[in-house]
Amino acid sequence: MVTYKLYYFNMKGRGELIRLLFAASGQKYEDFRIEKNDWPEYKAKSPFGQAPYLEITNGKKTMILSQSVAIGRYLARKFGFAGKGDEEQAMVDMYGDQISDLLNEFAKFMMEQDETKKQEIFQKLQNEIMPFHMKFFEAKLAQSKTGFFFDSGLTWIDLYLFNLLGLLGDQRNQLFEHFKAVKNLYDKVSEHGKIKAYLETRPETAM
Amino acid sequence: QEYEEIGFEIEQWPEYKAKSPLGQAPFLEVVENGQTFQLGQSLTIARYLARKFDLAGKSAEEQAKAEMYADQVFDLLNEMVKVHFEKDITRKIEAANKLFTESIPNSLKVFDNKIAKNGSGYLVASGLTWADLFLADFLDRLREKKDILLSNAPAVKSLYEKVLDHPKVSKWIAKRPKTEKYLYQKPQNFD
Repeated sequence: MVTYKLYYFNMKGRGELIRLLFAASGQKYEDFRIEKNDWPEYKAKSPFGQAPYLEITNGKKTMILSQSVAIGRYLARKFGFAGKGDEEQAMVDMYGDQISDLLNEFAKFMMEQDETKKQEIFQKLQNEIMPFHMKFFEAKLAQSKTGFFFDSGLTWIDLYLFNLLGLLGDQRNQLFEHFKAVKNLYDKVSEHGKIKAYLETRPETAM
Repeated sequence: QEYEEIGFEIEQWPEYKAKSPLGQAPFLEVVENGQTFQLGQSLTIARYLARKFDLAGKSAEEQAKAEMYADQVFDLLNEMVKVHFEKDITRKIEAANKLFTESIPNSLKVFDNKIAKNGSGYLVASGLTWADLFLADFLDRLREKKDILLSNAPAVKSLYEKVLDHPKVSKWIAKRPKTEKYLYQKPQNFD
């Protein structure tokens, strides 16, 4: 029997994709949330000194994985949310990498300390970067028969984009006005049986 | 595996951009049994080809490890790009320092431990994966800084030499076009 323990902070951030995957699959896991002050202790245990990291125990063997999206793809393949067949899996992957690019741009904005620079980044994000990426997602989603990225059903990238939109807070409503299929995806994921139940019970955090 | 490489100059980009799946390069076009399929995002292309060519790792767990290592290298590459494009001199120097005295050495140390523990001389126990190729490619871009960084990571240095000596890899390196740009350049999204 395989057991899973996720180590991340008490926030959504880069850990939530993993939590959403566990929720969608119904697979039980330990959702360990690291207190900020305790981070040095856990940092030492993580492969590259970063979180999230996932401890996977199978009998006597334990493996620790880091890099949120590598963990995401691993679980997605195990739980059947990776896409059907090599080519579809690669297409899913492609949109996933695109979402990662966008998330990284957003992270740059969040981490910027200099107020002037921060405003500059925000403008670029709002006027260029967000629309650029959303246009591609919208085009794909608009073609979908299921409302998810791929007709075969829910894949990890639906959860990944859903999480990113969640991190935007109320800003997303502005986006939703221009990108209807993206809004539809957000709603669909929110209403997906197991996800809905998880969303109702998960800790409320700003990010 | 045979493939056709279409390299283009920056002036020709608009023409190719229109044909690309995401408005970015690189992109790969695969034609199989009359069907065409396009992929963008360099790492997606790498993962896809790695799986097809049996360079992805021998189990789901190894595959995940290879992906984790590759994502780590990608983070370092992105950091390097940020330094390259930083216009503010103070920030640039600070960021470059962080990259070369913390980020890269810290990751190399972890890679070094993993390689040393594996017994295969590669990042994963079963042998060569695309993660090794990506790491070697990244190390190449460090140019003169590479030697000092590798002096503290002997297992990584061995891996680097092993990859460069791989018969098919060395053949490619000998015949590939010599380009000026040794730094990873993120494709231009905005014209």
